[in-house]
Amino acid sequence: MDILKKSFKKSIWVFHLSTAACNNCDIEVLELLTPKYDVERFGIKLVGSPRHADALLVCGSVNAHAKPRFLEVYRQTPKPCLVVAFGSCGCSSGIFRDSYSIVGPVDKVLKEEDPDAKIVYIPGCPPKPEAMIEGIIKGLEAI
Amino acid sequence: MSNKKNEKVMKDLKKKLKNKIIDIAQPREKRIYISVEPEKTPEVVEYLFYKYRCKLCTATGIDMREGIEIIYHLAKEDKNMVINVKTLIPYSKLEIESIGKKIKAFRWIEREINEMLGVTFRGHPDMRRLILADSFPEGKYPLRKSFKNSDVTDEDYDYERSGI
Repeated sequence: MDILKKSFKKSIWVFHLSTAACNNCDIEVLELLTPKYDVERFGIKLVGSPRHADALLVCGSVNAHAKPRFLEVYRQTPKPCLVVAFGSCGCSSGIFRDSYSIVGPVDKVLKEEDPDAKIVYIPGCPPKPEAMIEGIIKGLEAI
Repeated sequence: MSNKKNEKVMKDLKKKLKNKIIDIAQPREKRIYISVEPEKTPEVVEYLFYKYRCKLCTATGIDMREGIEIIYHLAKEDKNMVINVKTLIPYSKLEIESIGKKIKAFRWIEREINEMLGVTFRGHPDMRRLILADSFPEGKYPLRKSFKNSDVTDEDYDYERSGI
C-alpha cells in the first residue's frame, strides 16, 4: 500500500469521459489547463486512454446509450482508481432526472458494477476550477 | 408593400389546391396554414415542394390526444413566407404515406417522428432508429402524452443491442 500511496501523491493522470453531458462541464475542464490554473504543474494531466488513468472524470448524467460504454471504460481502468462525478448532473442527474433516456446519476450506475468504487462528487453547473482541484485532492486523501 | 404579394400567394394556392385540402388560412402576413387529410398530404406537400418551389424547414409531430398531428413547415423563400401543412392522424390508424420515398430531405425527420411518436410511414426506404438509444424498448413512444417516465425503467433496456 505504501508504494500505492507514494505513486498517487503526484502525477494523477485523468481520463475525461463525457456520458451525455451538455458540454458545459467539458469546456470547463479545459479551463484547468489554461495558464491561470495550470494543473499540469501538480502533475494532473489529461490522458487519451483509460488504461493509463488513475482517475475517471465523468461529466453528465448517464443515459441508456452511454451506460454500457461508461461501464466498459471503468472496467478497463486499472484499480484502484478514483471516479469523479462531475457537475450537478453527474452527482444527481440534475435537471435531466425525469427524462426518458436517463438511467441514473454516475454513482447509481457505477454501484451496480462495483459496489466498492471510490466516488468523489463535485457539484456545480459547471463547477468552479478551484472546486475541481479541491475535489480531486479530497478524493486522493480518501484513497 | 409585400402584403399584396402575399395575398396573391394565398389566392393562388386556394385555386390550385381547392379539391385536396380541408381548410386554408392566413393568420399572419407571412404565414399560411393548410389543413389536409392524411391521405392527401403527400400530394399537397409534393406539389408545394416541386411546383411551388418551397423548401423544407422541418416537420413536427405533436400528440393532440385525439390523434397525432404532423405539421410540415415549408419555406417560400422568394416571398418570405412559411407555409404549414397540417394533418391529423387518428389513433385508430397511425399510418401515413412517406414523403421521404420521393424527397430525400424528409427521411430523417420521418424517422424521428416514427420513433418518438409511433407513426408508421408507408414506403420509407430506411426506417432505423435515429436518436433514441438502440437499447430502448420497442413499442414505447416517449413524446406521447400517455407516456410516463416510469414506463421505461432500467430493466426494460436491452443492453445486448447497444453494440458493446
